[in-house]
Amino acid sequence: MTGLANGRSEVLVELRSVEAWRGGATILRDVSLTVRAGEIYGLIGPNGAGKTTTLAVVVGLLAPTAGGARTLGLDPLGQAEAVRARTGVMPERGGFYDWMSAFQYLAFFARLYGFDPPLVEIGERLAHVGLSAPPDQPIGTLSHGMRQRLGLARALINDPSLLVLDEPTGGLDPRGRREVHELLLTLSHKCGIGILMSTHILDDAERLCDRIGIIAGGVTVAEGAVPELAKMGRDLEAPEQGGGDRYRLRLADRGMQSASKRLPAGVSVLDGEGDWWTVALASEHPPEMVWRELMSLGWPIREIQRLDSRSTNSNLERLYLELTKHTERQRAA
Amino acid sequence: MQDAVSAGRRHGERSAPYQPLAFRGALIIAGKESGELLLSKRGLLWLLVMSLVLSGFALLLISNTELGLLENAQVVYDMVGLVTSLGALLTLVVGADAIGGEHERGSLVPLLLAPLPRSALLLGKLGGQLIAWSAMLGIALPYLWAVGSTGQNLAAGIACLIILGTPVVLTFGCLGVALGARLLSARSALTIGLVVLILAASPMILGPGLRRTAIGVAFDWVNPFSAVLNATDAVVIDSEPLLTQTVPFAIALAWMLIALWYARRSISRLTGSPQ
Repeated sequence: MTGLANGRSEVLVELRSVEAWRGGATILRDVSLTVRAGEIYGLIGPNGAGKTTTLAVVVGLLAPTAGGARTLGLDPLGQAEAVRARTGVMPERGGFYDWMSAFQYLAFFARLYGFDPPLVEIGERLAHVGLSAPPDQPIGTLSHGMRQRLGLARALINDPSLLVLDEPTGGLDPRGRREVHELLLTLSHKCGIGILMSTHILDDAERLCDRIGIIAGGVTVAEGAVPELAKMGRDLEAPEQGGGDRYRLRLADRGMQSASKRLPAGVSVLDGEGDWWTVALASEHPPEMVWRELMSLGWPIREIQRLDSRSTNSNLERLYLELTKHTERQRAA
Repeated sequence: MQDAVSAGRRHGERSAPYQPLAFRGALIIAGKESGELLLSKRGLLWLLVMSLVLSGFALLLISNTELGLLENAQVVYDMVGLVTSLGALLTLVVGADAIGGEHERGSLVPLLLAPLPRSALLLGKLGGQLIAWSAMLGIALPYLWAVGSTGQNLAAGIACLIILGTPVVLTFGCLGVALGARLLSARSALTIGLVVLILAASPMILGPGLRRTAIGVAFDWVNPFSAVLNATDAVVIDSEPLLTQTVPFAIALAWMLIALWYARRSISRLTGSPQ
């Protein structure tokens, strides 16, 4: 494998301040990212942020209007055929030929990439991604999850050095998701393939990715290793908002106007809307005592949930929400 | 799932260097296109519709011949004109679907991402149209035989159909591909293509008097359909040698090359996205 042979530091994708224009609108304004061999890079961002357009630039389907793009050390547009020969792509909407069987479909793409694998190898490749359809079963009869796996098998048919995946686990059940996770981790960390994937499932990003780029409004707003970004998320918790444990309280829908103004010492309200309120407790105050005091002050508490502020996922989520909130507000406006 | 490590090892063992696949890729895509026409329900339905139209028209022509209302040569000429028109319609449909339809179904992007030059994609799609036209000819031959076997002009009619009809039919196939690539919608490409086809095929329904006017003559000179019909008229009805029809053939060929250039230009500008 390329990645193992040349070491994990080989740069497979490099975008520098890329701008891209499509359909009369500027979609990418300043996107930069670097994907190395043997790593999984997650591109996360809200809908319409430019994730798919970024992938289109990487695989040479769209020319950047400014900035620089290199894929596998080559110009993805000028040397498109050489780039595509070593790249596997799984689009979010993997269109298939419903009249073909999965075997015929994979054999068709294998031939387009210059291979002519025997039927046994096609079967192995389908089994590799967890698809065990009969050789003559038309694709039209496969479930969404099975089609997703077939799309992954197609992306891997040329034994790529770089895998570009757009929402690879969308539509999969939890077991299927876990299996795809394991496959991607093995392909990346043991086989040395570099994987660039877009997702808006933060759990996928946290489980799979070595590094993450957060994109909002066509701009890369954060990039780094998952622990680094999680730390940034953790640091977003302002001390005055309570650096201790956080809890979600479900309140009966009465008396909150007056109750919200009366808080015992060591408690701060982080968020309050409708029935659910988020509060932070200073570490020196035992929660049981605080709940009793709050109820005595008129807080109609019905349910208490502890939020784990130390989990990577919640910290990533906090960072993601913070960095993308302006874009979401603009969209809402 | 199988052991991904072992798959990766096999993956590493394969050292197939990248080779330009232009012509081979075009053949593979043409094979897929023929499968789409001959194995999918949609393709078979189109061929069935063509057969039904030919059956109805052949029945009408045979009835007229039996009643002595039409000469055998005229019947063959009419049938050749109809088959050419139906062939143009079929390749237009196949062409519009080749890019526009694939884009709508989401299957175009994987094709665009294969390591093939765009010219190979176009050649493959045109190969599919040639196969569709061949299927159309295969269906039409028994009908031509049924209406024209009693006369002496059947072979000339078939020769006109193949030699003169093919460039016209491919012109509309290329137009469908080009419009599909520009509009990224099979329906829009087909709508515009049909309007062009109806305008071009209008000489079939114009009377001889109108075609002899200045406008009619000028239209004949630039219209590939007219050129082919005039040539077929000369060969089948007036019994002139086919080799004398070089000008109409050149007109039809020129239009095919223009449409091919337009299709190539449209496909080379195609971007798409992995969505």
